[in-house]
Amino acid sequence: MWDKNTEMELRRLVKDSGVKLLEENLVQGTWGNISVRLDEDHMLVSPTGLDYNHLEPEDMPIVQISDPSIWSDGLKPTSERKIHAAVLASRPEINACIHSHPVFATIMASCRMPLPAYTDELKEIMGGDVIVGAYGLPGTKKLMEGTVEAMKGRNACFMANHGVFCVGETMEEAFNVLRTLEKSVYEFIQMQTLEKTGAKEYSDELLFRVFTKKANYFLKK
Amino acid sequence: MDKSIELILEYAKELTKQNVIGKGDCISVKSGAYMYVSDKEVSLADLTQEDVLKIELNSAQGEYALHARIYAQKPDVSAVCHCHPKWVAPIAACGVDIPAVSDDMTQIVGINCKTCANDAAAIADNLMARNSTLVEGDGCVTTGRTLNEAYTCVLVLDKAAHCFVGSAVLKRNVCINVFEATLMNVIYKMKYSKKNQENLQSEEGNA
Repeated sequence: MWDKNTEMELRRLVKDSGVKLLEENLVQGTWGNISVRLDEDHMLVSPTGLDYNHLEPEDMPIVQISDPSIWSDGLKPTSERKIHAAVLASRPEINACIHSHPVFATIMASCRMPLPAYTDELKEIMGGDVIVGAYGLPGTKKLMEGTVEAMKGRNACFMANHGVFCVGETMEEAFNVLRTLEKSVYEFIQMQTLEKTGAKEYSDELLFRVFTKKANYFLKK
Repeated sequence: MDKSIELILEYAKELTKQNVIGKGDCISVKSGAYMYVSDKEVSLADLTQEDVLKIELNSAQGEYALHARIYAQKPDVSAVCHCHPKWVAPIAACGVDIPAVSDDMTQIVGINCKTCANDAAAIADNLMARNSTLVEGDGCVTTGRTLNEAYTCVLVLDKAAHCFVGSAVLKRNVCINVFEATLMNVIYKMKYSKKNQENLQSEEGNA
């Protein structure tokens, strides 16, 4: 059991982390959700469908990890709470989870393409290649199972056509995983662009040129 | 200051902050028989109180007539953003459509985003069944129940455009099928975003 002061601190942490996601453009609108462990069988999560800027720490519901349909002391929890619960239940060392939709990582997710751990930093922080969980509609068992499977032994995964799931022993560590993943995908896309064009220097205009060459294909579809 | 003017200034600032602005941007909110609209000759980055115009919907002309037409055709729309975000531009220039690349796109933008000719009738028609459209050789027009929703739609659309362009060097996007995309779009509108939009409508003064 946890004490009230700890609970209040963690409530503030969830609220502040949600605002941070928006401020760092790691999510847009009401999407993305956050959880933090209270004890072995309880977690605080963000509520469903509400703007983080308009939430209060008291709005964060407490959800039972062993049965996420049971919740109390806050607004209706995120529909993705089953993913958070399953990851926290299977990984006792993990205390914080972030699900978000950052731009570059979403490119990989929408191509359903894994990110190879091409640096030692990536290997260490992610725990290996970042793979793609099977596609499932939001809130479904299929999405939950696909994500949990792709998270095995890793600190991050892509969720097909959706976004990313990142974890850490602390919230700060989970944010570090998320930021490193976003930065690494950006670098990976730059490397791929240079390799495919033979150019020496990356620019977004270079990427536009590759796209424009392919645009005829999309017009024919 | 009128609440609608405050809103236009607030979101002009947010769009600038998110780096999704360009030449010829114009955002508006409906207020009864009138709309408050940013002067299209003034960059959203430089917008002041004096640059927000109050125009009667029935007598709007030029760019503003496009906004008025959308409000007339879609009574549930209370805000329109006509913007020129960086990643949208090359797709609109090529005249291709953005497919359902991500869940958040299908939820807030629509099951895809089609490119239409650069004229008011084509734009308004394209918006009948969607929240947004690409405008050939121009940019995009997004709509919302609140200005917050139309603004978020610009962000998500630009992100979807970025995904679509970015995937050109990786491999093709694997698209979400039409049934699942439609389902998410309906659930988002009718259920998931309902409470948040009610809160925002109350804040923005449209309730």
